[in-house]
Amino acid sequence: MKMFSKKLLLVLLVLVVSFSIVFAGCAPKKAPQQNNNQNNQQNQQQNTQKEVTIQIYFPVSTLAPEAKLLDSYAAAFHKEYPNITVKPVYSGGYTDVEKAIKTVINGGGEPPALAIMLATDLYDLIDAGYIVPLDSYINSMPNGQAYLNDFFPQFLANSKYEGKIWSIPFQRSVALMYYNADLLKENNLPVPDSWQSLAEVTSKLTKKDKDGKVVRWGIEWPSGWPYWLFQPLAIGNGTNIFKGPAQMNFNDPRVIEAVQYYIDLSHKYHAMPEGVQKNWNTAVPDFENGRAAFILHSTSGLNGILQGSKFNVGVMAVPGKKKGTYATVTGGGNIYMFKNVPKEKQDAAWKFIEFVTQPKYVADFSINTGYIATRKSAYDLDVMKQHLKEVPQAAKVKELLKYAGPEFSCHDLAQVRNIFHKYLQAAYNGQMTPKAAMDEAQKEAQAILKDFQNP
Amino acid sequence: MAKTVVNKHADLKSSIIPWLLILPTFIVVLMFTAWPTVLSIYQSFFRLKLNVPRFRVPTFIGLQNYVELFKSPTFHQVLWNTIIYVAGVVPISVILAFLFALLVNRAIKGIGFIRLGFFYPTILPMVSAATVWMYFFTPNYGLFNLFLQWFGYHGPQNWTGNPHLALLAVMIVAIWKSAGYFMIFYLAGLQNLPTDVFEAADIDGVNYLQRLWYITFPLLRRTTLFVTTIAFIDGFQIIDHIFVLTQGGPSDASNVLLYYLWEMRFNYQDVGKSAALTVILVAFILIFTIGNFALSERKEDRRVA
Amino acid sequence: MSHNSIPKTKHIKKRINSFVIALVAAVLSLLWASVILWAIAASFRPPNSPIGPGSIWFGGSFSFANYIRAWHMAPFLLYYKNTIIVVSLILGIQIVTAVFAGFAFANYEFVGKRWLLFFILLQLMIPTTALLVPNFATIRELGLYDTLLAIALPYFGSAFGTFLMRQAFLEVPYELVEAGIIDGCNWWQLIIHVYLPPAIPTLLAFAISSVTWHWNEFLWPLVVTSSNKARVLTVGLVRFTQLGEIGAQWPLLAAATLIVVAPLLIAFVVFQKRFINSFLYSGIK
Repeated sequence: MKMFSKKLLLVLLVLVVSFSIVFAGCAPKKAPQQNNNQNNQQNQQQNTQKEVTIQIYFPVSTLAPEAKLLDSYAAAFHKEYPNITVKPVYSGGYTDVEKAIKTVINGGGEPPALAIMLATDLYDLIDAGYIVPLDSYINSMPNGQAYLNDFFPQFLANSKYEGKIWSIPFQRSVALMYYNADLLKENNLPVPDSWQSLAEVTSKLTKKDKDGKVVRWGIEWPSGWPYWLFQPLAIGNGTNIFKGPAQMNFNDPRVIEAVQYYIDLSHKYHAMPEGVQKNWNTAVPDFENGRAAFILHSTSGLNGILQGSKFNVGVMAVPGKKKGTYATVTGGGNIYMFKNVPKEKQDAAWKFIEFVTQPKYVADFSINTGYIATRKSAYDLDVMKQHLKEVPQAAKVKELLKYAGPEFSCHDLAQVRNIFHKYLQAAYNGQMTPKAAMDEAQKEAQAILKDFQNP
Repeated sequence: MAKTVVNKHADLKSSIIPWLLILPTFIVVLMFTAWPTVLSIYQSFFRLKLNVPRFRVPTFIGLQNYVELFKSPTFHQVLWNTIIYVAGVVPISVILAFLFALLVNRAIKGIGFIRLGFFYPTILPMVSAATVWMYFFTPNYGLFNLFLQWFGYHGPQNWTGNPHLALLAVMIVAIWKSAGYFMIFYLAGLQNLPTDVFEAADIDGVNYLQRLWYITFPLLRRTTLFVTTIAFIDGFQIIDHIFVLTQGGPSDASNVLLYYLWEMRFNYQDVGKSAALTVILVAFILIFTIGNFALSERKEDRRVA
Repeated sequence: MSHNSIPKTKHIKKRINSFVIALVAAVLSLLWASVILWAIAASFRPPNSPIGPGSIWFGGSFSFANYIRAWHMAPFLLYYKNTIIVVSLILGIQIVTAVFAGFAFANYEFVGKRWLLFFILLQLMIPTTALLVPNFATIRELGLYDTLLAIALPYFGSAFGTFLMRQAFLEVPYELVEAGIIDGCNWWQLIIHVYLPPAIPTLLAFAISSVTWHWNEFLWPLVVTSSNKARVLTVGLVRFTQLGEIGAQWPLLAAATLIVVAPLLIAFVVFQKRFINSFLYSGIK
């Protein structure tokens, strides 16, 4: 027994020592490399003033298909501007990009010139003093206003603050309602065009077995992270959950009515599981396997759902309260430019923004990823027209854009959003009436936001 | 004993040596236990919220952070949840641990595997276990509901989305995780018990339950004190699974102090309030563990008297 | 006759009793183990047989596809490397500091000894996890954010290890120490030749519980790292579960989970007794 312990300890110690060596071996190697880089940069600056390398942080993993696309755009850009090198950094997800940038800035380092971050990060980035407005660049363009106007205004809505433009739309999506078109046909049901008809249709499509157990829900509407998929209901009732970056609209009677409608879908029409529907996860497989007739999800799920379903899939915006009205909400990320980056890098970065938001790249990105093309003129290109012919659902998605309202965003977003989630879920779960919940949410949110009202 | 010998040879050098030997540990405790405790108390008197331009420079506000916290309904709920969480997880996992120890304290074939089944959660990372539990709890899909249905359960299935079940769900996982760990202490305690007491009891015709209550349990008092002390300290800290299962929701139904503290600092960027929460959390841990100690010490006194 | 039959029935009753107890134990244990058993079963499901409502255990045939996919979707190899570096760095330094401090407390009499021991034991009363906010600030100050060293540093000194080693060293017979001193051992020779050999089991117990604990730690590494270069397995796994593309692919998640737990789990099954004894020794981490 003792021998054995000694041996095991020996093994452990060898492991420790060898890893310490590996670890120690790593440390000195890095330092000269950094020096080299610095030397190189200094040399470059001395030799040719114009030689610039910029970084763009991108919220996907290295293996994602978007990474290959962006690499190719950077290469094409370098061909056109040989003195500028764009280095994409693939950091994982949106939160990873945000954390990485915070780390660099707090550590006193130089942030990347550009990053793709959530469109809704706008106010937090401004409050933190991380980003610069882009107006001077846009105004210096020969037709800057026309360039801006070519972006869909729904996407640009998350770029404006205090009369300035702070970001350029890049990878954007909207919320979608997916439905099992075959089921509607079989049951002779119309495609819903109002709250009332949506409730009736989904109620009829809900099927129970002989024990009274539901085997197919009329609709599944995920609400584990609920604000985004709730917004189409508020927008469809002629309002939204916020008025401005420091002014919420949670207890507007129309918002309260929208909350009540969501609850009614389960309690009154029995067309939807009761309470908070925690999982985004199960909605898609339920839909694909015929256990849900309608689901709500992002456009980003489109390709996967089309592949996974053995029936005809319909996509639509969420019906509004009034007959014939529809609503959805935008999502996704924009390009931001960072403060405390040398002027020549910022200038180079703007050149890259201009380059990569040319219609042909916007169209290419949309076709290859499933994101919505952010510029109107991208849809005039032949490749895009061809693509819409091949994937009619993608054409439909573009049409829905006109119903889209802006995604919820404000100062101190994390905290205000959490307050909204808390009370929205309390209402969904029947702990509070919609009115009481939304009144409380409004009160608490405004108490937080008072810090931002008189700067 | 040994020290006197060394002291015989004592010169100036040997009196510095022990200090030098302890120095590394001392520095770590100073830097990562003592200093942060003091820093938290200090910072809790300041308003410092990193995402509000005006509050990015610390301003002294006295007890304002505490006042605001104690006024906030969310904090009340978090506090209440924490008490339920700890007061539920600790006794249940300790009782189960005792029960398991009684069950597996015998020399039969395959007992090793049975012990293994109880103990292995100890060495699983909580987040890995929680990933599996996430599936177990999923309505319609998960095994947990299926299992409950065998026993005639027909209540709500939405364990992580239902405000009345979410806290219970994270408690169940915490109990599942720690019972086997505590079991081994009881097992060791049982195996060290003097057998003559039991033989005497056998002759007296004491039944099993009586024997358990009047002999076994009191004899294992030290073990129980030790186990409950660890259980209390752990209880406040075992929250990794909340990140995977509920994120504190729905409507803060499963939000507990340490998770809220993390949220306050890293989601809401409120350094001042998170410092105040740190102070409250540390105070809670100390009160619970010292209280537990004092309580069992007093019991012991009474028995002796 | 009757005199004989009473112990006999008693004996039978006892056997039935012990059988029932064993059965209850087995059933409960199986229940407890269902978590890992299910994960293993699900992870080997072929990708073309997804898990439906109430479907249990295997999906018919056997497949490694989930492991291969999971392995390619996240840099688990890097996470492994990071975890192993962190865990061994902590262990290596903890052993040295704990042995030194334990030896100092066991072997010497010096000014402020009681006070110093109490101070160090503070670490047991105020768990490091609870102090993550101020410690995060310290890591920032030191410029260590998003490094492996940041994860390891707060554990370089262990009150528990110190206490454990002190207890073990106090049990070393006084004659041995005296003999060592007469032989002319200096302090480190005393540690190596006299104190350490009998304390090896204690050290090993401490080592096992330290490795397990730091392999499993999540919150602190989550807070002080932000990129893959410093991410450990637990944090990597949680990020993996949050990847948008994953959805309800439970077999894939099960495979990723098992990738993370495999080394410890295998080590545990092989060295079961030793593991359990270590945890027994080292009650508090």
